Amino acid sequence: MARYFENSSDALVSDALEGFALVHDDLITFDPQHGFLLARHTAPSRRVALVSGGGAGHEPMHAGYVGRGMLDAACPGRVFASPHNRQVYEGSRAAARPEGVLHIVKNYTGDRINFGIAAERLARCDIPCARVLISDDLASDADGIASGRRGTGGTVLIEKLLGAAADDGLGLAELQELGERLSARCRTLAVASAAHTAPTLGEPAFHLGADEIEYGVGIHGERASATARQGPLDALIDRMSEELIAALDPEPGSTLLTLVNGLGAVTPLELYAIHREFSRVLGRHGLSPARTLVGDYVTALDMRGFSLTLLVADPSDLPFYDAPVHTAALRW
Amino acid sequence: MTSTLPAVFSSELWIRRFADSARATEAQLTSLDQRVGDGDFGTNLALGTSAALARLDALTRPDDAAALDAAAAAFLDEVGGTSGPLFGLLLQSLATTVTPSGATAASLAEGVTDGLAAIRRVGDAAPGDKTLVDALTPAAEALRSASGSSRPDQALADAARAAWQGVRETARLRASMGRSSYLGERAEGIPDPGAVGVALLFASAADVVRDLGPHLDGDRPG
Repeated sequence: MARYFENSSDALVSDALEGFALVHDDLITFDPQHGFLLARHTAPSRRVALVSGGGAGHEPMHAGYVGRGMLDAACPGRVFASPHNRQVYEGSRAAARPEGVLHIVKNYTGDRINFGIAAERLARCDIPCARVLISDDLASDADGIASGRRGTGGTVLIEKLLGAAADDGLGLAELQELGERLSARCRTLAVASAAHTAPTLGEPAFHLGADEIEYGVGIHGERASATARQGPLDALIDRMSEELIAALDPEPGSTLLTLVNGLGAVTPLELYAIHREFSRVLGRHGLSPARTLVGDYVTALDMRGFSLTLLVADPSDLPFYDAPVHTAALRW
Repeated sequence: MTSTLPAVFSSELWIRRFADSARATEAQLTSLDQRVGDGDFGTNLALGTSAALARLDALTRPDDAAALDAAAAAFLDEVGGTSGPLFGLLLQSLATTVTPSGATAASLAEGVTDGLAAIRRVGDAAPGDKTLVDALTPAAEALRSASGSSRPDQALADAARAAWQGVRETARLRASMGRSSYLGERAEGIPDPGAVGVALLFASAADVVRDLGPHLDGDRPG
């Protein structure tokens, strides 16, 4: 039994958002009535607003990525649940720029429907709206899964690049095209050696035997389609990296962005060791990351797991990555 | 004026009748949805219609477009899940095509057709997926073919009949969308609750005309 520190499970998300808004008052405003966060300062050169959202439990995503150089607004749902269309609609209306709004949506049925309803409502107010669907999760890339690959860790890289592109003054169609290209060339694979703590029960959501891992988890604490032996780190990362490389088949010397992402309860010590192995396997293919993030960026509450993300970019995308960003969770 | 509906028809009466029928069937819809879905559809439909009533009560004699707008906003803003807000999209499309001077069979046909298109865009659902689209598609077709006929007062009855026929079809289908898609053949034989909700919506419109039309509308054939 490991209970959450909370006033009540119903209040945890809104309490946390209010706390977040108190800390980062200089970066964002929080509208508790409509349930969205809005950036205080975004570049005047932006013609299109970037709006994202999804369930809570993935902190620092998405609230942590609202601000200069990244998102204009974020709409957090309840834990692991999509935001309501009203949050997305109101957040989009508040953030909208002259050329409209780009929704950055992770591929889940609920998110697609709620962002879609909001888009229909925006159309009725003559606010142009387009969508980039993020579907980077390699584990859900199977013929039998009609809803397609899930959206996971790669979201943070794509939101960073789109943020800089929006600051550069790209129009709605150009941003959508860029986002779709990045999403098509981005894959993520995640494993977990222990479940997250289920919020209502205070108990692990599932149990694994010694030396067992879930191979191919998402970001909602669910089990994977396969349980594997954990084994030594180098062999595990060999397998994961080879699958990512095979899926994207990058030419040697490609411009790669990589993300080694903790799912909530893996130590930074381990994440850096994981990055070492990831780089080693890439090197074997004549590849090396042009830019890398290592840390907890897209989590699944306190799941003991991590994801590897590989994004095959164009060299022309690097200035978008390098452009300054100032949000609660990402800044340079 | 082939597309004139009986003068007794108004969007406000329609929504009020729909609210009655959602309330009366809440328990049955809930038990249906417990077998093929989350079990919350009956409650969400009742919640949406009672929120719509509260918004209608706050207006003074709303015209047809305003009444539909109020109902749409209630479903879009106040109902959780996905089916409830999709009803909101349908009502919003109707509010756009219906002019303040009154609904016609043609404007309802156009609104339902647009609403169906919006719902299909948003939900990625096609006919045959065992969703509310399976009731809405034949209802839209019935409205379109009746709107140019010499018996436009029959349009709503035709739409209701077509929607119920669609509901019966969903019982034969295996779901490929939504929560019931995880049930496979276990959901066969059970109609889709969202489709039932759509049929109730059109049946409510037909009821308004059938119950009141002969008494208040003067002589009309049939």
